[in-house]
Amino acid sequence: MPAFAVPPEHADLRAAVRRFLTECSPEAEVRRLMETGAGHDPAVWKRMAGELGLQGLIVPADHGGAGAGRVELGIVLEEAGRALLCAPLFATVALAATLLLECDDADAQARYLPGIATGDTVATVAVSAADPGRRPPGSGVAAAGTAEGWRLTGEEPYVVDGHAADLLLVPARTPAGLSLFAVDGRLAQRHPLQTVDRTRRLARVTFADTPGELLGRDGSAGPVLDRTLDLAAVALASEQAGAAAFVLERTVAYAKERVQFGRPIGGFQAIKHMLADLLLESESAISAARWAAAAADEGDPDLPALASLVRAYCSDAFVRIAADSIQIHGGIGFTWEQAAHLYLRRARTSAQLLGDAAYHRERHLQRSMT
Amino acid sequence: MSVRAEVAAWLAAEWDPATMSAGRPRTEFVAAVVEAGWAAPRWPRRWFGRGLSDDDGHVVEEEFRRVGAPGSGQDRHNLYAATVLSFGSDALKERFVGPMLRGEVAMCLLYSEPGAGSDLAAVRTRAVPDGDEWVVDGQKVWTSSARTADYGMLLCRTDWSVPKHRGLSFFLFPMRQPGVEVRPLRQITGESEFNEVFLTGARVPDEHRLGGLGEGWRVLQTALAYERSVMGDRARAGRSDRGMAEVGDELVRLAAETGRLGDPVVRQDLARVAALRTVNEWNALRAKAEVEQGSSSSVMSLGKLAMSRILHESARVRTALAGPRAMVEGPEEPIGDEATFLALNAYFTSIGGGTDQIQRNIIAERILGLPKEYEVDRDVPFSEVRGG
Ligand SMILES: Cc1cc2nc3c(=O)[nH]c(=O)nc-3n(C[C@H](O)[C@H](O)[C@H](O)COP(=O)(O)OP(=O)(O)OC[C@H]3O[C@@H](n4cnc5c(N)ncnc54)[C@H](O)[C@@H]3O)c2cc1C
Repeated sequence: MPAFAVPPEHADLRAAVRRFLTECSPEAEVRRLMETGAGHDPAVWKRMAGELGLQGLIVPADHGGAGAGRVELGIVLEEAGRALLCAPLFATVALAATLLLECDDADAQARYLPGIATGDTVATVAVSAADPGRRPPGSGVAAAGTAEGWRLTGEEPYVVDGHAADLLLVPARTPAGLSLFAVDGRLAQRHPLQTVDRTRRLARVTFADTPGELLGRDGSAGPVLDRTLDLAAVALASEQAGAAAFVLERTVAYAKERVQFGRPIGGFQAIKHMLADLLLESESAISAARWAAAAADEGDPDLPALASLVRAYCSDAFVRIAADSIQIHGGIGFTWEQAAHLYLRRARTSAQLLGDAAYHRERHLQRSMT
Repeated sequence: MSVRAEVAAWLAAEWDPATMSAGRPRTEFVAAVVEAGWAAPRWPRRWFGRGLSDDDGHVVEEEFRRVGAPGSGQDRHNLYAATVLSFGSDALKERFVGPMLRGEVAMCLLYSEPGAGSDLAAVRTRAVPDGDEWVVDGQKVWTSSARTADYGMLLCRTDWSVPKHRGLSFFLFPMRQPGVEVRPLRQITGESEFNEVFLTGARVPDEHRLGGLGEGWRVLQTALAYERSVMGDRARAGRSDRGMAEVGDELVRLAAETGRLGDPVVRQDLARVAALRTVNEWNALRAKAEVEQGSSSSVMSLGKLAMSRILHESARVRTALAGPRAMVEGPEEPIGDEATFLALNAYFTSIGGGTDQIQRNIIAERILGLPKEYEVDRDVPFSEVRGG
């Protein structure tokens, strides 16, 4: 199929997810969940799995999922981004399920993927969500083999949805090198952080002689994690691009409706030109995220370089669009009641997750020049 | 046989870069391309095409690109032939479309005037009927390639009693005649490609009219759309590049050459420019897919604005890499020379063919649906409009 062509089943998937989120994640619901400790609604989470199969989207059929690819995941995350969905979807699917699929451990896949697909397991990967360049995965945690099995000690400061995860997948150092462990979430010490973006939570997760189960071969986690983080970067880019496009839509709508000096503010060139530039940003972010998702499905060998290029672009685009949206809304944009700041909070926070734009630009260059 | 196989077979038989450089003239090859219907394959057979779908048209272009052969893709890029095809009489098409595709007719665009640039509907060059001819008086400016042109696409006023958009007509205007005087203008790059054109009692037959009398604005919109789409696709890559080559990515090489590849600020810039370029290519592919799937594409109109940003941004990085060499020009200092040339020539894209500001107006109004600019003179008979 030619690049960017949209087959009917993809249009259907998008429409179904949008319908669902319009019902289950309207702004009022987002605001309600922002104030809760859990940060998401377990009943909606179960419906997402039961009615739409979102948690199992990329899980293979023999583990109870739909066996779809990164393009489908991108569609779902674009929609989740638009709706500011409060749910551990990114952590569970884009991080944890992806890592399980990438790691060479059929037993672990059989043990954990079915629970993810049914919505019974909330999972995440304990990589520091901040700049992986300065704090590479696994640098904070060490694992030691004991008579009773593996024991983990250390800390990851910013784990996405760490507070809610039943299953923590933890990169940790062993004498053999970087390795992966599955840890029961209840056994780790989890300190929920006061996140700027209340629609996506972070926790500081501390391990103190915490039992863990080795995934794959001891010392073999490096390439698996690299690949997982690339795929997660692409997934996050989709979420950013979807959210950015939505912010622009609502900002354009506001510019047509708000009247000053006897005419809609969207008629003033200062506003018009800002919006035209933002359209270029938003459409470019969408093109970039969709291209990268398709490249991932096609096994493009340039994915590492591409993923970083796309992540950097989408992070910057979302921040710029969300920030200018506040300016275009004027005073009302400065109020808590207007949703504009919720998106700016999401934009600024997601721009830090799994490497900021500058980190990814550098990484793109390194990876495209080798 | 698939289109791809057919065009590949044709190229295998006809295209040989070696004989080209050994003297088979390029024009002879392009003529064969036109004859075979590959120059404008999306057009009907009657008019040098093959009636192919847009998709197959791209396949043809891809095959030509793959072997580096010229001449294809003209149904997307040759704004002259495309405009004549859309708006000319059959007789005019017979006479001009073929030669235009073969590159035998040198062309220019006679739109801008001293008082009408962004606001092209304000042109004051007048055409007055005289039998089956029109007599043209007025002045055009910024006319690229006017000195070598055989014909120009002329926008002029044929009716002063109606508001500005309604009194315009569009002609395929013969440049080589006594009433036409061309004076070169020196550009900021030092080159002299654009000109002033003075029209004094110049003549154009009525059969050279494109579109109806008073319908020049509509014809112009079609021609401009072609021009802007080309400018979104391509730009000059350097001083020596006289054609419109694809913008290539030489910045990394230049950074290595100037010993700056280790500089973290430069590295951020290199990656930023790479992203702008790559993303623009993806936008173009997405626009193509959207159009093929039958939806209108908002991405398509963004290309020229995107290209303008790419050119200015890469020139800025190039200048940073050149450092103090950017103070010197000429063949002894090629790195500095190129940096300045590209920084200056970037305005070709951000001003020519409709400025960035005008593009933003168009995007805001036509795509985002924001209110149109207020035009004081929109509904006033043009004879009462203030000039400037
Ligand atoms: C290299 C080059 C080659 C060219 N070749 C040709 C050619 O071959 N044939 C031809 O006909 N023309 C040609 N042009 C002319 C070109 O199309 C015009 O220069 C251009 O459309 C702008 O018109 P202007 O120069 O009169 O500027 P103006 O229209 O006077 O614009 C001056 C400034 O005002 C801004 N402005 C104007 N109107 C608005 C508005 N409504 N909203 C916001 N801002 C506005 C512009 O963006 C610009 O910044 C060429 C120009 C260049 C630079």
